[in-house]
Amino acid sequence: MARTGAQLAMLLGINAVLLVVGALISQGSFLSLFNLQSMASQVPEIGLLAIGVMLAMCAGNGGIDLSGIALANLSGVVSAVIVSSMISASDSETAYSLAFILVAVLAGLAGGVINGLLISRLNITPILCTLGTQMAFTGLAVVVSAGKAVTVGSPALLSSLGNDMVAGIPISFVLFIVVAGLIAAALKFTPYGLWLMLMGTNQKAAVYAGFPKNGVLIATYALSGTLSGLAGVIIAARNVNVKFDYGSSYLLIAILIAVMAGVRPEGGYGRVICVVLSAIALQLMSSLLNFGGLSNFVRDLAWGALLLTFLAVGRYNLTSFIALKTPGTSNSSATPSRTGP
Amino acid sequence: MTSNMKKLLAGSALAAALVASFAGALYAQDKPVIATVVKISGIPWFDRMNTGVEAYQKANSDVVATQSGPATADAAQQLQIIQDLIAKGVNALAVVPMDPAVLEGTLKRAMDRGIVVVTHEADNQTNTNADVEAFDNADYGKALNVRLAECMGNKGKWTTFVGSLGSRTHMQWVGAGEENAKQHPDMELVDPNNESFDDANATYEKAKEILRKHPDIKGFQTSAGNDVLGVGRAIDEAGLSGKVCLVGTGLPNPSADLLESGAITAIGFWDPQKAGMAMNALAKLLLEKKEVTDGMDLGVEGYNKVSVKKGPGTGLLVVGNGMVLADKANYKEHLF
Repeated sequence: MARTGAQLAMLLGINAVLLVVGALISQGSFLSLFNLQSMASQVPEIGLLAIGVMLAMCAGNGGIDLSGIALANLSGVVSAVIVSSMISASDSETAYSLAFILVAVLAGLAGGVINGLLISRLNITPILCTLGTQMAFTGLAVVVSAGKAVTVGSPALLSSLGNDMVAGIPISFVLFIVVAGLIAAALKFTPYGLWLMLMGTNQKAAVYAGFPKNGVLIATYALSGTLSGLAGVIIAARNVNVKFDYGSSYLLIAILIAVMAGVRPEGGYGRVICVVLSAIALQLMSSLLNFGGLSNFVRDLAWGALLLTFLAVGRYNLTSFIALKTPGTSNSSATPSRTGP
Repeated sequence: MTSNMKKLLAGSALAAALVASFAGALYAQDKPVIATVVKISGIPWFDRMNTGVEAYQKANSDVVATQSGPATADAAQQLQIIQDLIAKGVNALAVVPMDPAVLEGTLKRAMDRGIVVVTHEADNQTNTNADVEAFDNADYGKALNVRLAECMGNKGKWTTFVGSLGSRTHMQWVGAGEENAKQHPDMELVDPNNESFDDANATYEKAKEILRKHPDIKGFQTSAGNDVLGVGRAIDEAGLSGKVCLVGTGLPNPSADLLESGAITAIGFWDPQKAGMAMNALAKLLLEKKEVTDGMDLGVEGYNKVSVKKGPGTGLLVVGNGMVLADKANYKEHLF
C-alpha cells in the first residue's frame, strides 16, 4: 500500500509546511499556545462531519451524506427545546448538560437511521436521499425553533466542553480525537470495517458473498448521523445558542476534507487518520490566511488549488512520476497504486 | 517514496515561502489593531463600509484599521474569522454580526481577554462593549412618513409594506409612520402591513393588486430593501409615476432608474461607510479608556451628537442620527 503511505506523508508534510509558514509570517505568534488552542477548538465540528462523509463514501454505490450539518443543527435545536422544557439549566447544571448531550446524540442517531433505512430498504440513491433529508431536517429545525436561535446557555459541564482545556488541549478536540480513534479502530479491527470496505469496492460481489448489506448500510449512516449529533453538541457548547442555518458552508467543506484525505468517492477506501489530518490542514490554512489579513476569497482559491493538487497526485500518480526521473530510487513507489476496479 | 516526497515538499515549501513573504508584508505592525468584521465581503453594502474603514485608517495613523468578512453568508464562517482574529491578538473588534446569537459565546471570550468589542446592527447583542446604531427606529419611521405626507399633500389613501410581520425594526418603522399620519386626519390607512419578504417580484404583484383594489390610492411606505423596487415597478407600469407617492428603505444604485422616472419619491437608508467609521471611532475611544457620554461627537457625519443608553447586556447602546433621505435631486451624492 504505497499510496496510503504517500497520502499520509503528504498530509503530514502539508501540515508541517503550513505551521512553518504561519510561524514565519506572524513572527511566531501563529505557534503561540493560545492560537494553537483556538485552532484546535475550531476543528472538531467540521472534522466530525467529514468523518461522517467519509464513512458514507466508503460504503460505495455513490454513497455520500449531505445531511450532516442540517442534522447537527436539528439535533442541537431539538435537544435544546426538549431538555430546557423539562430541566431548568440554572437549577441542575449537570443534569441539564447530560440530558442535552444525550438527546442531541440520540436525535443524530435517529436521523442517521432514517437515512440508512431509506437508502438500504427503499434503494434510494444516497445523494438524492440525503439531499432530501437535509431539507427535511432543516425544515424541521425551523419549525421546532420557530426560525429563531435557541439558547442553550452555558451550564458548567457543557461550557467546559466548549471552552476548557485538559492538559492544555481543548476538551472538544480531545473528544474529537477519541471519537476518531474509536471509529478508526472499528474500521480496522471489527468485521463491520471489513464488510464496509469490501462492499464499497464491489457491492454485487459482497451481496453474493452473503454480507449483511442492509445492516452495514444502516450502521454506516447511523454512525454518520451520530457524529452529526455530536457535532451539534459541540456547536451548542461553544456558541451558547443553536440555530437552524448555522454552518451552511460546512456541507461542501466536509466533502472537500474527505476527498483531500484520499477517500475514494467510488467507495471502498478511506482512512480516518487522513481525514483528521486533512481537516487540520484546512483549518491551518484558513487561520493562516486570516492571520495574514488576506481576503476569504483567497482562502477558497487556496482550498481549491490544494484539492486539485491532491486529485492530480492521486490520479496521475505524480509521486512515482517524480521517482522515475531520479535514477536509483526504490521501485516500489513506481508501481501504479491505484488502477482501481 | 521518501526522496520523491521530499522533492514534493521542497516544492510546496518554496511556493509557501512566496506566499509568506507576500503576507508577511501585511503583517508587521505594533500599533493597536481595530479589526472590522462584516457579515459577508464582496457585496456593495459592505464594500461601501470598507471605504469608511479605509477613510478612517487614513485619518488615524496611530491605529491599524482593517476589514474582513466571510466569502459566504454563513454565521459559522464569520465566527471562525473572529476566533482567528482573537488568537492573532487584535486590540479591538468591530463586528456587524450575521447572527448576534451565534456570536455571543465567542464575543464573551474576546471580552474576557480584554479585547474591545463594538457591534453594529445588533441592538440585542449582550456581549459587547458598545453597539452602534445609525438611528432611532421610531425617528426613522417618522421621517419616512413625514416625507410621504408632504408628497401626498397630507391627504388620501396610503398603505404600508414590511419585510415580514416578525421583523422587529420594520414593524417599528411603520408603527412610527402610522403614529405620524394621525396628525393628518385626511390621510386614510388602507390594508396596512403587507408582507413582502424582501422579494421585489412578490412585492410587485402585491402592489398591482393594491392598485386595482384602491384605484385612488395616493401613497406607499415600504420597509425592506427591495420593496421600493417592486412597488416602484408597479407604479411605473401603471403610468402613475409622480401621481402616486412611494417612500421607503432602499439603496441609491438599484433605485436610480425608478427615482429618475419619478416612480419612487424618496428612499431612506443609512450609509454603511459612516457606520464603519463610527464603529472604528468608538472602538478607538474605548481602547483609550475614554468615557462614552450622552450627546458626544464621534467625529463622523451623522454621529455628531449620539444618544447613549444602557444596552441589553453590560455594554452601551449608542444611537446616532445617520439616516439619509434621498430623492431624484440628491441621490447621486450617495451612489453605492
